[in-house]
Amino acid sequence: MTNEVVILTHALSKSYGRGEAVRGLNLSVGRNCITAFLGRNGAGKSTTIKMLLGMIRPTAGSGTVLGKRITDAEANRQMRQRVAYVAEDKPLYGYMTVEQTINFARSFYSDWRIDIEKKLLLDFELPANRKVKSLSKGMRTKLALLLAFARHPELLILDEPSEGLDPVGIEYLLRTLVSCSAEGVSVFFSSHQIAEVERVADHICILEKGCLLMDASVDQVRQSYRRIDMVFPAPPPEHEFRILGVETIKTAGRQMSIFASRNAEAVVERAQDLSAVSVEVAPVSLRDVFLETVREN
Amino acid sequence: MLWYKAWLETRSRFLTCLVTLTIFSSVFVHHALHISCLNTLPCSEKISSKFTPEFHRLLFINQQYVVIIWILAVVLLGMGGIVCEKALGTSSLTLALPISRARLMRVRVATGVFQAIALGVVPWVTVFVISSRAGMPISITQVASYVLLLIGGGLVYFAMAILISSLVSGEYTAPALAFGVVLLAAMLFDNWLRRFNVWRLVTGDLSIDRSTFLLSKHLPWLGILASLFFAVLMVLASIRAIQRREF
Repeated sequence: MTNEVVILTHALSKSYGRGEAVRGLNLSVGRNCITAFLGRNGAGKSTTIKMLLGMIRPTAGSGTVLGKRITDAEANRQMRQRVAYVAEDKPLYGYMTVEQTINFARSFYSDWRIDIEKKLLLDFELPANRKVKSLSKGMRTKLALLLAFARHPELLILDEPSEGLDPVGIEYLLRTLVSCSAEGVSVFFSSHQIAEVERVADHICILEKGCLLMDASVDQVRQSYRRIDMVFPAPPPEHEFRILGVETIKTAGRQMSIFASRNAEAVVERAQDLSAVSVEVAPVSLRDVFLETVREN
Repeated sequence: MLWYKAWLETRSRFLTCLVTLTIFSSVFVHHALHISCLNTLPCSEKISSKFTPEFHRLLFINQQYVVIIWILAVVLLGMGGIVCEKALGTSSLTLALPISRARLMRVRVATGVFQAIALGVVPWVTVFVISSRAGMPISITQVASYVLLLIGGGLVYFAMAILISSLVSGEYTAPALAFGVVLLAAMLFDNWLRRFNVWRLVTGDLSIDRSTFLLSKHLPWLGILASLFFAVLMVLASIRAIQRREF
């Protein structure tokens, strides 16, 4: 990740009555990166995105997108000129045809890429004259993505972009995200499909109950997170393994399983000191990291 | 293209109301011709001078019915917008566009005003053209006065619909509430505030000469201006509400 950031928030919070949707979020999204925004349903991902786009006002804190303050209406409008957003429910005007929708969106952006528009129209097999309300969910998702990609924005914000797409569509989407990033577009997307995230993301942020639990590069996660399964001659003392980097410890009789975000070597050393019968260190998938992180909290 | 969107959004409502009003006005002229034939049996080409006040009375009655349909139409045209889009789930597409909320509202209001004017002008032009061709005693000044009263005095109903649709979400809640307010206001003003009754202003009841059924040359400009002033206030309040609202 470069030092330059496209999204930066400081103690960003949003409350609805007594409920806190987002709590003191300090988010930093790098330029030219694909950043995945992960979290369970209701974790505050969509609320955060809506605050970034000026649709809702933060209760506290501040933030900038492409250097523009999110709470300043005019700055936010200028920022939206350079940002493409696809919302979770892929909203489109049902009374317009596909062609009318494209013409409507095109009129707001001087840097609209007709070549991308035509290519995607063809690749997605979208019927130009059909009313949007009669399109299938997958087709609507494709049209929403076309509108975002043809903009050729500086920043793409996508909320659950693969929802409603078939496997072929998902594959196309992932490739397009990678090629967009290669062309200098920063991508910030939320998803529940962790396998997809693992394939394309450079960076992940995990949100749980409005708090940012993890902000790390995917490479860093792959290199440092480990699961260590050990068997001892007698039930092992858990406290011996409570060291820096150990996130969770599960013990069942003589067996112990440790999930570590770093310091796997130190854990192995301790296990050997305690005469472990067997020690197995395995890399963990992003899915496991996500599940362990949210479960722990 | 925001104008185009506003047009696509409202065109079916607008065209339905326009056709209804135009057909109604044409039927009115046909009815007037029928009455004139009854009055001047055998039906002569020249309209009886006795019929002139009767025709003007019919014009006045026509205005009452046109006003009812026109108010229903402009309240319907005032529905929709970004709050309704929130209920339908499309507001995030509109709000992600690089345009201010105030501009969104301005375009929506301007489109609605043009449509409201068309809904006031077209039926009365129809009445004028058909009546003139049939040799009826109709003057352009009377028609223009009816249109002026209708639009100048009645735009407050449109502004009220815009305000309600900016405050109340729900595809059906907002129109139900707006029609409720129209009825309530009609009853309230008719019973306790007759001098300030917008309905009487718009229908011409405040400026009609009961013997000739002609509108006075001195139109109630103060009433029209006051009505327009409240309309502008309500539109400004709507813009403010939309700017402050969270989606």
